[in-house]
Amino acid sequence: MKKSFLTLALAFACVFSAFANDPAYDSAMKKQLAAMKTIQTSEESQVVTNGFLRIAEVKNTEWLPLYYAAYLQTVAAFRFEVNKDQYFDQAMELAKKAEKIAPNHTEITALQGFIVMGKLSVDPMSRGQELSGQAMQLFGKAIALDRENPRAITLMAQMEQGMAQFFGQGPEKSCGMARMGLELFAKEEAKINEDYLLPTWGKREAEQVASACK
Amino acid sequence: MKVTLSFFLLFFLIQPFVWAQTILTGKVMDEKNQPLPGVNVFLKGTFDGGSTDAAGNFQFETAESGTQLLVFSMMGFTSQELVIELTAKNLEIPALTLKEEFNELNTVTISAGAMEASDEKKSVILRPLDIVTTPSAMGDIVGAFQTLPGTSTVGNDGRLFVRGGDASEVGIFIDGLRVGNAYGTTAGNVPTRTRFNPNLFKGTFFSTGGYSAEFGQALSSALALNTKDLAKRSQGDLSIMSVGGGYSHTLANDTRSLTLSGNIFDLKPYQGLIKQDFDWERAPYGRDLELAAQHKTSNGGLWKVLARTESGGMQLWQPQPGVSDRGMLIHLKNTYSYAQTNWRKAYENGWSLFGGVAYSRNKDVLNLGPLAIERTNELTHAKWTASYDFSDRLSVKNGAEFFRNDYSEALTKENLERSFDDHQSYLFSEWDWYLNRKLVLRSGVRAGFSTLADEKWLDPRASLAYKISDHGTISFATGRFHQLPEERFRVLTPSLKNTESQHLILNYLYQKEGKTFRAEAFHKSYDHLVRFEGILQNPQQVRNEGEGFARGFDVFFRDRESLKNTDYWITYSFVDSKRSYFQYSGQVQPDFAPKHNLSIVVKHFVPSLKSQLGLSWSFNDGLTYTDPNRTGEMNSKTSSFQNLSLSWSYLPRPNLIIHGAVTNVTGHQNIFGYQFAQVPNEQGRFESMPLGQGAPRFLFLGIFHTISKDKNANNLNNL
Repeated sequence: MKKSFLTLALAFACVFSAFANDPAYDSAMKKQLAAMKTIQTSEESQVVTNGFLRIAEVKNTEWLPLYYAAYLQTVAAFRFEVNKDQYFDQAMELAKKAEKIAPNHTEITALQGFIVMGKLSVDPMSRGQELSGQAMQLFGKAIALDRENPRAITLMAQMEQGMAQFFGQGPEKSCGMARMGLELFAKEEAKINEDYLLPTWGKREAEQVASACK
Repeated sequence: MKVTLSFFLLFFLIQPFVWAQTILTGKVMDEKNQPLPGVNVFLKGTFDGGSTDAAGNFQFETAESGTQLLVFSMMGFTSQELVIELTAKNLEIPALTLKEEFNELNTVTISAGAMEASDEKKSVILRPLDIVTTPSAMGDIVGAFQTLPGTSTVGNDGRLFVRGGDASEVGIFIDGLRVGNAYGTTAGNVPTRTRFNPNLFKGTFFSTGGYSAEFGQALSSALALNTKDLAKRSQGDLSIMSVGGGYSHTLANDTRSLTLSGNIFDLKPYQGLIKQDFDWERAPYGRDLELAAQHKTSNGGLWKVLARTESGGMQLWQPQPGVSDRGMLIHLKNTYSYAQTNWRKAYENGWSLFGGVAYSRNKDVLNLGPLAIERTNELTHAKWTASYDFSDRLSVKNGAEFFRNDYSEALTKENLERSFDDHQSYLFSEWDWYLNRKLVLRSGVRAGFSTLADEKWLDPRASLAYKISDHGTISFATGRFHQLPEERFRVLTPSLKNTESQHLILNYLYQKEGKTFRAEAFHKSYDHLVRFEGILQNPQQVRNEGEGFARGFDVFFRDRESLKNTDYWITYSFVDSKRSYFQYSGQVQPDFAPKHNLSIVVKHFVPSLKSQLGLSWSFNDGLTYTDPNRTGEMNSKTSSFQNLSLSWSYLPRPNLIIHGAVTNVTGHQNIFGYQFAQVPNEQGRFESMPLGQGAPRFLFLGIFHTISKDKNANNLNNL
């Protein structure tokens, strides 16, 4: 009797920990992540961003919704005809909020580097000197926080590629990094299932850098 | 078992409520009554919500019921909340207006008199990088500002002259703290430079008048330099130049960084190669040591330290008019130390605090022929400010400052010394009031007190800016400015009071993607200027009796857009200035205020050469001087000043820069004035000698190499 009581208690503990995981949060996130894949316009991007922001509002201890909102703003600035500086600034604001919840997180740090890269791309002539160093430093930090983060290494490969092109150097360094990024993506893919909420983007970018190699 | 059962029951009981769905609809507009797309509309505390579409409409479904809070939120706009009652199947929310928050991008900024250089702000005229790459500047901060409106180039001085004011009327500040003796001491007609390296600063704020109540003791202009924040990475920087060399090492981590640098310069080898027109006994030389440290404190504050010590000197023969030998030997030795520390923090509740202390000490040992002079100047400045944002429309900055100025000069051989010690206290308060996004009013007042002058004074300042179109702004600034006379006069007559100036400025600024047009008209009055009898080297009866004015306009056009890889700016400044000052009893055009000033700077990047080519050309219509062979004061004018400089910066690798520059390529014979004999010759004429340039041209070649010791970068190199 006592034993079965214990099993019951354990079973309950499991139920409650599943509750702590909050299925409502998980399904809300999955819904937005699915919507994220279908974005074609800046308006659609804003709708999904807003979805993530609503989740962030309720679950103010989770960094992921803010992360995705910041990521979407960044991608929208790159992809669509919008006020780029404003979008990147807002993205950085959101990424900083995420950082407050999860300080020294490899993904948030890498994303911040990505945003800085975006700011740089708006006016490379006058911002290059200051911001390229800043972006490289953030990517370096993201890699140091997790050497298995394929996005951090891919973004750094992109920066290296741009700099090598500017200075007319060979692509060896960026190619090596892109290859390493692709390996890490393969490793990551093995972990991904339908309940996987963590960032998975970046493989296309790694392939792009790698395509310029050989 | 019972527990599980009750769970199941609870679940079934809740279900009916879940089926009661409500559809919410509504519309959101902006202040211009246009539909606002992208607004996030949601029920607080739930995941339920939607976004407005291109027509500003939103619609979403919710399973919630009862009293709820509906939130309208969008970045850059003030959020709104609405209490709603969820009872019916459909709920239509009345149309709602969201107000845009005031921020730097959409709100007017005051541009009268102000020119900013920074990477962060939008309303910038010059970027930090521009300072280093302007050919005529030769890496000197002030040299780059001499290509901006409102300034004139006085080639044999090198300092900054703004709108008919002399060089002492420009106050130089680092992180808001005054720098004593910011220029290197020089002698004869050898132009000087700023002591501080442009690489120390992330941004500059240069004002040619009508500036904030935060700055005092500057009649004409405030040049505020802001030091860099935390260094990005550990690295070493090596420079080898035709005039010397240096090494700088930076250690950095996430919360603190430290840079230590040492430089030597010596013009001797250079002068050995290239013929000089000046008669040098010993070419200028110097060495310096500098430390800059930054620390991000755990509570979000930033703490900085900057310290510098340097020494140098020169010896040169100055020919005397009417005398055929080498003339008088001038021997100068200078030592200088500067140290400052400051702390700042912005709190989330709207307060920002700043506190800092700076100290500088300058000592000159000067031999003018048989005369041996020793001068020491010490300046301590302590400052505290507290700013508070009441809202995005109203903010205030209050501050208190304290200065101590010790000055002494001695004739060492005669054992004669005189000195003074002055304590000054200041209080200031400045209010920024945004009436709307297009109209801002800034009003401030600054109160001062000096123990030595035994004088209290009050300076009201005000400026107004109005955004007339998306890209154009009109601003207006006025104010009263006080400045105590230069130390060399105060030590003679300690009772000297403040000199005074009033500014009136009207400015128009147009900025659009890479293009900037700026026009400004001004009127300045001067009062209580220093006057004396005799000559500058030996003034008698020094008193506050001079007065005068300066008026004029300047225009500036910069375009970084129209021509590919090309950035250029053109500046024209007109100054009509007259004043009675120094030995001049009547109002004359001062010898540092040429009427017409023109400068053109062009930078062109050639990707295939990995090079930036630079050109700068400056012109003014000549400086006034007094010819004793004619009647009157300031009765003559030199021929025009012209300087065409070229530069080539080559970046073979990201960490290597090779920079070469030549000033006055055409070898134009620039004359800055004439030196006349004290007594007439046998024919009754005062013999004269032109004051010219040290050499027709100056050549510079430098190699700058960065050695990165960044751990991550190294690791990545091994990948």
